[in-house]
Amino acid sequence: MKSEELNNQDYKYGFTTEIENFKAPKGLSEKTIRFISEIKKEPKWMLDWRLKAFNRLKVLKEPNWQKPKYPKINYQDFYYYSAPKSMKDKPKSLDEVDPKLIETYNKLGIPLNEQKRLSGVAVDAVFDSVSVATTFKGELDKKGIIFCPISEAIQKHPDLVKKYLGSVIPLSDHYFATLNSAVFTDGSFVYIPPNTRCPMELSTYFRINASETGQFERTLIIADKGSYVSYLEGCTAPMRDENQLHAANVELVALDDAEIKYSTVQNWYPGDKDGVGGIYNFVTKRGACRGKNSKISWTQVETGSAITWKYPSCILQGDNSVGEFYSIAITNNHQKADTGTKMIHLGKNTKSKIISKGISAGQADNTYRGLVDIGAKAKNSRNYTQCDSLLMGNKCGAHTVPYIRNKNSSSTVEHEATTSKINEDQLFYCNQRGLNQEEAVSLIVNGFCKEVLQQLPMEFAVEAQKLVSISLEGSVG
Amino acid sequence: MENLFNIDFKRIPSFNDKEAAEREKNFELFLKRGFPNKKDENWKFSDLNYIIRKNFKNITNNDDYKFDEKIELINDFDHNKIILINGSLESCDLQFEESGKVTIESLKTFEGFYDKIKNNLDYLNKALSTGGFNLEVQKDYKCKKPIIIYNYFTVNLDNKIINNSNKIKLSQNSELTIIDYNIGGKSKFIKNTFEKINIDKGAVLKNIVLQKTKSDGYFYRNISGTQDYNSSYQNFILSSGLKFNKIEIDMNLAKEKSSCYILSGLNLSKEEHQEIKTQINHLAPNCKSYQKIKNVLESDSNGVYQGKIFVKDVAQKTDAYQLSKALILNDKAEFNAKPELEIYADDVKCSHGSTSGSIDADAIHYLMTRGIELRTAKKLLIKGFLNEIFDNIPEEKIRTFLEKSIAIQIDEIR
Repeated sequence: MKSEELNNQDYKYGFTTEIENFKAPKGLSEKTIRFISEIKKEPKWMLDWRLKAFNRLKVLKEPNWQKPKYPKINYQDFYYYSAPKSMKDKPKSLDEVDPKLIETYNKLGIPLNEQKRLSGVAVDAVFDSVSVATTFKGELDKKGIIFCPISEAIQKHPDLVKKYLGSVIPLSDHYFATLNSAVFTDGSFVYIPPNTRCPMELSTYFRINASETGQFERTLIIADKGSYVSYLEGCTAPMRDENQLHAANVELVALDDAEIKYSTVQNWYPGDKDGVGGIYNFVTKRGACRGKNSKISWTQVETGSAITWKYPSCILQGDNSVGEFYSIAITNNHQKADTGTKMIHLGKNTKSKIISKGISAGQADNTYRGLVDIGAKAKNSRNYTQCDSLLMGNKCGAHTVPYIRNKNSSSTVEHEATTSKINEDQLFYCNQRGLNQEEAVSLIVNGFCKEVLQQLPMEFAVEAQKLVSISLEGSVG
Repeated sequence: MENLFNIDFKRIPSFNDKEAAEREKNFELFLKRGFPNKKDENWKFSDLNYIIRKNFKNITNNDDYKFDEKIELINDFDHNKIILINGSLESCDLQFEESGKVTIESLKTFEGFYDKIKNNLDYLNKALSTGGFNLEVQKDYKCKKPIIIYNYFTVNLDNKIINNSNKIKLSQNSELTIIDYNIGGKSKFIKNTFEKINIDKGAVLKNIVLQKTKSDGYFYRNISGTQDYNSSYQNFILSSGLKFNKIEIDMNLAKEKSSCYILSGLNLSKEEHQEIKTQINHLAPNCKSYQKIKNVLESDSNGVYQGKIFVKDVAQKTDAYQLSKALILNDKAEFNAKPELEIYADDVKCSHGSTSGSIDADAIHYLMTRGIELRTAKKLLIKGFLNEIFDNIPEEKIRTFLEKSIAIQIDEIR
């Protein structure tokens, strides 16, 4: 199945695809975990690993230090595995889709025709708990690149999976990461062999469809010595009144001289205007720059989700390694975001850069929370952090909570943050030249975000720019 | 926890039966949670429980206020004097002020029993407080000279804890400068102070905290205050030389046009740990807050700055600024910062910056090419780094005195 076909079928973003589902028994239990493992025909070591995580989970407590509070999640109320019975099933009708959402995506102009333009992108499409298809496999195989669903990798490349799975996010890391380790269903696995530059962008498209499910995907990317890969992640979900949990784990490993560029455009359903429904996006993303001169760069555009709670991080272990984090987080209506990054400098001459742009409108709350930790052995390390917040109206909030630790006399840490509103003069100037209020705001906000947007791969940048404008629609005036 | 303390409530001078139950209740509440540790977000970077347990055992409350040493006064400028011995008011001399305009009285019994509890150390303070002073400046009176509070600590304070609480009230349009001047002996003790500040309409309070000599004191000071319309509060923290010091300032800018300045220049050496934690609450429009924290860290010292600016939704036109800068001179030294913004109003100007690093090698090189040796060049740059804090002190004599005090500290840097 090619990416174009896929896009013609299941991926219409905000609506529900009526598909007969095959589900695991409701609730979280050892039985569920055994069920998932069995249906994926996993080897015993994988099941043991899951059960170990599950045992650990029993003693862990859900964290509660975050700014956005949410009602208690009943973990027994989800289906932990849900897959379309037949992947050939086509969506029954478009009529069930909320016209507002159709309108949104028409405005975006991405779903149908324009996606064809993205023929240079290899896509792994994850629908609820299973990977539906992976494109361009043949072409990648020629170069020795492995790009496949992680369930397939467990079967075919157990050595690689065993070696790296859980090596960046340990089994017992924290509640949601451990939950994921116990019940993860699918996700992407990428291995780039030494001295290989991945010829195309790799992309995973995550889709939550079934109701009462959580999505727990796991992504593992390994860039071997001297390799390069750029990876994109996109996600959407249908509109539902219930809150759905999305707790993914993403692990990146960059060996000597390798570079990983990881971009996310997160567009989960944010809930309606009154804050009903929407996805809880509690994701653990962490990259280890294990080798010398390695580099990991995170770029994220967070426009969706009722609550976004994630900190894509870099552990800079290798000497001269580089970590980057570029983020735009837009919250409107009742959306809440608590996001940022951790840059942990362990190796010598390590560098990190954080650019974070937060935009709040409506009654939203937007928090940047980040850690820069320079270890005692990280000689001559450097960090630069800039976080800017933009507020629209006085019912929303913008918060900055940076943690800065420096244990080294030869390292430099710089942090600056500003909070402001859209400049009246700029608005006036735009209005004067014939732009209406909304166009003017959109233009100014895009300018505000430019530093981050230009980090995105071309294919995503266009989409992201439009998303930024649309997310803020109705917030002016 | 039992082994850590050996408390006798009878040692409290003003102790009476009426208070006994309250004090014991508070002490039990304190023991339940003990000294705060790093699991507590506010104490993340200063694990007081660990620090206390490492350095103290059998902590007793102090009952000795005898002091027979000669008090060395500051001769650099005219000033009024308040003398505290081990946190208790000994004498005062307000010779430069009109009588009745400035009043100071000793707080013998602790009135604050029923105030809202701020943290666990507050329970401890309420249990063992020996009082303190109550300072008040009358309406429209601008103090002619600053008041220096000579904070003497006797030499026999090993393993003792001092708990006191003070109150400062500035009535409408009054002005006062207070200099806290700590003079400590060689004993190892804990001091736990809670202070309440009330600044009325148009009043100006300046507070300078200075440590005369190095001391083995472990200090915690909690200042909470409220500011009325057009009032101003300025705090200069220059308390280098203590083994442990945490100053927590919680200031409410409750009415329009009030302003709050917190400036700090610390020079920490071996085994010293200092934290400045601030929370500035902008609760009304058009208020201003400005924080500048500078640390020079030598040896294995540890500097912490946790600052929070809170802007309520009605507090439009807020102008808030936070800056923390650290010079790390040794690989064993550590600087931790958490400059936090929590903002709910959109028409505001809020920004913060934080930097930490070593001395600019280019600047050192520049000075050395001009014939200045390395040690002198370093000191010169450190001096410049810290002296910037004093720019906001208009009184020249006080400024010169402070610069002199800092120069002595910097001279000790190797």
